[in-house]
Amino acid sequence: MKISRSWLQSFFDAELPSVEKLAETLTFHAFEIESFEQARGDEVLDVKITPNRGHDCLSHRGIAKELSVILNVPLSRDPLASHPPLTPDSNVLTVSVENRELCPAYAAAIVENIAVGPSPGWLKERLESIGQRSINNVVDATNFMMFELGQPLHAFDMGKLADKDGMYEIAVRNAKAGEKLLSLDGKEYKLSPETLCIVDAIASVPIGIAGVKGGKSAEITKDTHDIIIESANFNAAAIRRTAQALKLRTDASVLFEHELSPEITGYGLTAAVELIVKVAGGVVEGFFDIYAEPEERKITLFASDANKILGTELTVNEIEQVLKQFAFVYEREGERFTVTSPFERLDLRIKEDLVEEIGRIVGFDKVPVTELPPFSRKAEVNKRFYWGEQIRQELIVKGYSEVITSVFTEKGEREVLNKADSVKPYLRATLLENLTAALAKNLHMKESLGLQEIKLFEIGTVWGKSEESTVVGTISEKEGPVEVLLEEWPGLSDTPSLYEKVPPSPTTHYEPLSPYPFIVRDVAIWVSVQTKEEEVHELVKEEAGRLLSKSWRFDRFEKEGKVSLAYRLVFQSFERTLTDEEVNNIMEKISAALLKRGYTVR
Amino acid sequence: MQGHLHPISHLIREANAIFYDMGFTLEEGSLIESERYNFDVLNVPKDHPARDMQDTFFIQGEPGMVLRTHTTSAHLHYLEEQKKKNMLPPYRGVAMGKVFRNEATDMTHEAEFFQIDGFVISEEASLAELKGTLEHFFTKLMHGKTEIRFRPSFFPFTEPSVEVDMRVTGENAPEKLRDRWIEIMGAGMLHPNVLRNYGIDPEKYRGFAFGGGLDRLAMLRWGIDDVRLMHSADLRFINQF
Repeated sequence: MKISRSWLQSFFDAELPSVEKLAETLTFHAFEIESFEQARGDEVLDVKITPNRGHDCLSHRGIAKELSVILNVPLSRDPLASHPPLTPDSNVLTVSVENRELCPAYAAAIVENIAVGPSPGWLKERLESIGQRSINNVVDATNFMMFELGQPLHAFDMGKLADKDGMYEIAVRNAKAGEKLLSLDGKEYKLSPETLCIVDAIASVPIGIAGVKGGKSAEITKDTHDIIIESANFNAAAIRRTAQALKLRTDASVLFEHELSPEITGYGLTAAVELIVKVAGGVVEGFFDIYAEPEERKITLFASDANKILGTELTVNEIEQVLKQFAFVYEREGERFTVTSPFERLDLRIKEDLVEEIGRIVGFDKVPVTELPPFSRKAEVNKRFYWGEQIRQELIVKGYSEVITSVFTEKGEREVLNKADSVKPYLRATLLENLTAALAKNLHMKESLGLQEIKLFEIGTVWGKSEESTVVGTISEKEGPVEVLLEEWPGLSDTPSLYEKVPPSPTTHYEPLSPYPFIVRDVAIWVSVQTKEEEVHELVKEEAGRLLSKSWRFDRFEKEGKVSLAYRLVFQSFERTLTDEEVNNIMEKISAALLKRGYTVR
Repeated sequence: MQGHLHPISHLIREANAIFYDMGFTLEEGSLIESERYNFDVLNVPKDHPARDMQDTFFIQGEPGMVLRTHTTSAHLHYLEEQKKKNMLPPYRGVAMGKVFRNEATDMTHEAEFFQIDGFVISEEASLAELKGTLEHFFTKLMHGKTEIRFRPSFFPFTEPSVEVDMRVTGENAPEKLRDRWIEIMGAGMLHPNVLRNYGIDPEKYRGFAFGGGLDRLAMLRWGIDDVRLMHSADLRFINQF
């Protein structure tokens, strides 16, 4: 969610901290910040709102409220504090909702005689700062309120709806078979009976996909005079299914998918009407309001419970201070608090929810580091893991290296649905194919690896028609691929009582692999028995230079008082493919240096 | 000449040894898992985006079965065994193994990867103990004094939920990690709904849980630059460990 610092500032009298400081504050007390950037005299934060806070924080008011709590600075205005009543009743509009489960609240206002035109500069700037395009004063006002309050709003051109003796009627119902909608951006959508629609009930024509997108037929244009402004609440799961089915995710649908409080509809509508009258003129004719009875959620919290869960020693007053910073309505009796959850905070339901609020506002850095006490009994040994470890040790000693390969394959007994990369949808029934491929892949690198024989194993999962099992597969150049069930591996011990202590990997860091091919050369020389062999190897390495990626002595024998040493040299570059010629030149340089030292190159 | 162990196996072996000494029993679980174990008991509602077709592999012709998206699904299997043995809390468990996400792959994302998940259920469990547990674990695993830092987060199965950052200091710390805060895990106090689904009275017991990617830990510890190497079966890679 893109959040403008200037927009946030409009909620405070006090000057907000710098954008860097805001980012840090939010990171450690509320949300991760994906990025922040300068944007035309403004600064914009990209805030990663967690799914549980979509109810209230996909809006500038939501983030302003968070900052107010965290920084303990009061809001200078709170659009969710109260709103004027939705009066008078409209004399020209009625609304009917077929299924209140899918549409718990629907508030609408009629504004007549407006003048559609460009938005004032401040409104354009606000929207553009968060990457939105300015369209016209009416549409911009509804969009502004959506990003301000987190309540989607939509304006219909009332003149484009059918009327009956001057009366208009909107219905919220599921689409009928065969109904279509041409959306505001000119795409035609075939509606299914699962799609909830906003319908011009007199003409029985859909004018919008509820909670997702408005229709072209009732679009606001420069010729629009009278409008219906919709501020409704829709069922989160229904909107999510519709947006998925139509592959149409909009800012509005994302909000509804997070479930909004039906109570925000009235706040959103009155704020939008006020702004429209300010920027586009017009007169409010009246309202139509279908609303849900507010649900009151009270949570009981003992200060001691908060301390037990967090592992802290906060005083009752410190906890109360956090509740005050939230401006929660609460009662206190000793260490017991009864907190009324604000209507927009649908996430606050149980004491643990409040404990999280206390923890993050005082700061998780206040949570001490407490050692986990010794366990009252001994941990059990996992028999199958123990066996796996036994087999690993046995194979490693025999020179086998462990590979892990993909479980996905071209054929098998079980298949996954809708694989994102759409290849290899089956689950493997055997390890043998992957081991065979792995052997082939490593074979041509044998020389560069300094191996006499490639030997591989994998301990992995395979699937039959109804069972899942772990098998051990081995393969080497000399022996073809073999696999056996883990539990049937010969020589497994019966009742392990303890894991064997195995030293950790001695490797400290990994050397990246070059994507370019290597070239192998050997050099063999006669030296005297007195020669320090390490010095010979050092000289070879020095002369070979930085293109030498690996070298080792692969042969040594003594004959007639002399020692024959043979080294294998692997050349490879990280930048390019080496040519035979340049490696030959290096080899000549090495020979020359060895000769100069008095050794005989064979 | 000896062969080499895959770096993930090295890591699982070391992690298991550290947790075993702290009283955690290892559970492996199965890779094909029911939605009940993978989602329902973990308080992931039916309409949560995590259940979207694009994130979770569902099994053809087996409704309600998925490739597990985390190793947390193994915990309930362990708890059920404890119950059969009439073993009451406290419990400590850790699960490690392969998990799956149905998404496009790149240098840092694979459709199949490895995870570690652990939990403690007791009368005293707290976020402070969680911090202590992770600090001890990472100090051992990363071979350097490790500090743990929490940031607010959200997971359906924990409340409060936190993101876990670590900072490793000291000479033996891997160079790429030394003295830097790095995001490493998700964690929190087990949600009362999860405890209830586990058949444990949340009025009497509390729990904490943590989980993160082993591939990422391996990449950080050894400076591995491409997660796809894990499944490459390339000995130039494996034989470095």
